[in-house]
Amino acid sequence: MSVSGWFRFKGRSIFSWSFMFQRITGVVLLIYLIAHLTYLSSLFDRTGATYEGMIAITVSKQFLVFDILLVLCGVFHGINGFRIILHEFGIAYEYRKPLLAIFTVIAVAVWLYASYVMYSLTGG
Amino acid sequence: MVEFKIRRYDGEKSYWQSFEIPAKRGMTVLEALYYIKENYDSSLAFRASCRMGVCGSCAMKINDKPRLACETQVLMLGNAVKVEPLDNFRVIKDLITEFEGFFEKHKAVKPYLIRKDDVYAEPKELLQTPEELNEYYIFTLCIKCGACYSVCPAAATLDDYLGPAAMAAAYRFCADSRDEGQRERYRIVSSSNGVWRCHLAMECSEVCPKNVEPAKAVQLLRRKTAFSILKSLLGW
Repeated sequence: MSVSGWFRFKGRSIFSWSFMFQRITGVVLLIYLIAHLTYLSSLFDRTGATYEGMIAITVSKQFLVFDILLVLCGVFHGINGFRIILHEFGIAYEYRKPLLAIFTVIAVAVWLYASYVMYSLTGG
Repeated sequence: MVEFKIRRYDGEKSYWQSFEIPAKRGMTVLEALYYIKENYDSSLAFRASCRMGVCGSCAMKINDKPRLACETQVLMLGNAVKVEPLDNFRVIKDLITEFEGFFEKHKAVKPYLIRKDDVYAEPKELLQTPEELNEYYIFTLCIKCGACYSVCPAAATLDDYLGPAAMAAAYRFCADSRDEGQRERYRIVSSSNGVWRCHLAMECSEVCPKNVEPAKAVQLLRRKTAFSILKSLLGW
């Protein structure tokens, strides 16, 4: 038995897919958090040159696709996580299928709107 | 004719073997396995007992999904049927998996009524309203087939995890108005291998052949356990 047991989806229901995405997005967010803190540590350079150099890369248009994917991870993880918390309190368990559909639609809608805003801000 | 592809295991190596079955209307996967055993290969090993979805012995992975072989009709599955042993269990031979650990976990949660006034010499009638029965009735339907455990991602990564079936049994008795052993069980299920290990993938409820909803039982047990811990911290 291993972590591969988290990623079995053959013959599984939509809930396994949701679980799998929750895990993957969680790992992506963790990696992002580490990268973000590493990034911020560049502020130790009091001249600000290192930070300015690094931020120039990440606010570029070429980097937008990664930002959009990161927002997808954050939005899905947060909204799906809220659904899981509801069920963990024993709330609306019988409506788990419609709730999963509703929360997924909300996550996609929020992600599309956020992507549009980010695209506009980068002068798209 | 329907092609049966069975994952076999001889104690050393695992391999696939195919058989052609003359399937007819109403034939179950279990009947097909008996057909193979009687006509092609008598060494094929699988577990079965009641043949009517009550004992839970014949749970196996059929076309990637855990199901009861005795309740799954061959013609509903198409022209190709893939049969494998359940995941998350150690395979002993062919489709037979080791269930001792699974039953040990079940036993560990004390799945019986605990009473302080349990005097056999003077039996006492314990009355219960239909509403009180409804609190736990659905969870009494578990047949311990292991289908829920085989799809549980927490059980996939942790051998000692109690699993959905054992915790559904624990909740069944904790929610029973006649039971007085809740605190004892809360202590067991709130251990590091209990309710807090559940990731709520909810796949266990999806595959349960008896619609027991083990994932719901685990969450309700979580809530009860949390309140119990809180009460004991406050000295209530």
